[in-house]
Amino acid sequence: MSTREIVLNGVSVDYGNRLALENVSTRLDAHRIAVIGANGSGKSTFARLLNGLEAPTSGSLSVHGLDPVRQGKQLRRHVGFVFTNPDAQIVMPTVAEDVAFSLRGRGLSKSEIAGRVASVLAQNGLGDHADAPAHTLSGGQKQLLALCSVLVGEPDLLVADEPTTLLDAANTRRIADLFSALEQQIVLVTHNLRLAERCDIALRFDGGRLVEQGDPVDVVGRYEREFA
Amino acid sequence: MQPLGLYRPGSSVLHRAGAGVKLISLFVLALAASVPPPSIWLLGGLSVLVVTLYLLAGLGFRELARQILMIRWLILLVTVTGLLFLPLDVALANVTRMTLVIVLAGLVTLTTRTSALLDAFEVALSPLRFAGINPQRISLVLALSIRTVPVIAGFAQQLRDAQRSRGGRVSIRAFVVPLLVLSLRHSDDLADALIARGAD
Repeated sequence: MSTREIVLNGVSVDYGNRLALENVSTRLDAHRIAVIGANGSGKSTFARLLNGLEAPTSGSLSVHGLDPVRQGKQLRRHVGFVFTNPDAQIVMPTVAEDVAFSLRGRGLSKSEIAGRVASVLAQNGLGDHADAPAHTLSGGQKQLLALCSVLVGEPDLLVADEPTTLLDAANTRRIADLFSALEQQIVLVTHNLRLAERCDIALRFDGGRLVEQGDPVDVVGRYEREFA
Repeated sequence: MQPLGLYRPGSSVLHRAGAGVKLISLFVLALAASVPPPSIWLLGGLSVLVVTLYLLAGLGFRELARQILMIRWLILLVTVTGLLFLPLDVALANVTRMTLVIVLAGLVTLTTRTSALLDAFEVALSPLRFAGINPQRISLVLALSIRTVPVIAGFAQQLRDAQRSRGGRVSIRAFVVPLLVLSLRHSDDLADALIARGAD
């Protein structure tokens, strides 16, 4: 990857009956980027653009030097995506198998895959659950598994779309601590404003437009005052 | 819920044996149980073999009993229909054959990781590449099917709980329609997840 920059130039996403994003332009190179805003404000659409899950109707974007539309397959090796609901993200029956699934087709030997899987599970507190059926895990453990399945691929950018929405306070804190410790660039879409404040920069969306970008404490403060 | 006899970790000879060897052995034993004329010596011998293999795998009588209990309604159905239309010895032989094969198949899944089974399927299906069929995709579909069973069961439980909490009568329509909606939404999310994980 040549750069650690996310660049959007006049990006709009039109679903036909709804303009999900409207003429968004920005340049982001911060380590931890929070994305906040009300439901339906365009946050998730913005996140999905970064992994090629959505394509812009107009405008252009580049993520770490790659075009998510034309170079989607190549990009997805470098951009991990964590969804709100881990159940939709876990595709294999057991914990270790699901993590190993992320390494398929990368030309690694079975022992290399087993080593990387064991290492990422141990680092994230799931070492004792390697052979457990995924459906027997708690909600927090499932989200940790979803994260492990992304992190094992060693992405340069991690995009997380409301990863703590379904979690209790303890698991939210655990995920937040994990994000803080990661070296990768992170785009964190969240309704948890305390989590957003821990980032280096915050973007605020409203009605599909990027209305504010800056210091997280300032952006979150102004957002909260609007509802005070 | 523990569907489809998922893998139980272990270090027995059966756990260490290759998935391909186990699948071929299952095929041979299933043929041995099904093709020859029913004989008490053959079926008795296979029953002893099944019990021995469960003990050898460290799963014990308890797991064997659980596997049989899971298919109790099928056993009952086959026994009753057999007794209605077939002589007693043939009906009993048929139900014994069926139970032996299902319990043996259960032993394979209990001692083999799903990923190893899928790898074996991929190897077995690899000649189909010449017909333009991608064995990796077929094995992925199998894995997703196994993974989706507890997810759909979870949806069904949520809907039953929701119906009970609202004190409504049990309604098939009010159960099936939202179950379909939840399942279709899950399939959309799963498709996104597969793309995001580079499986496209």
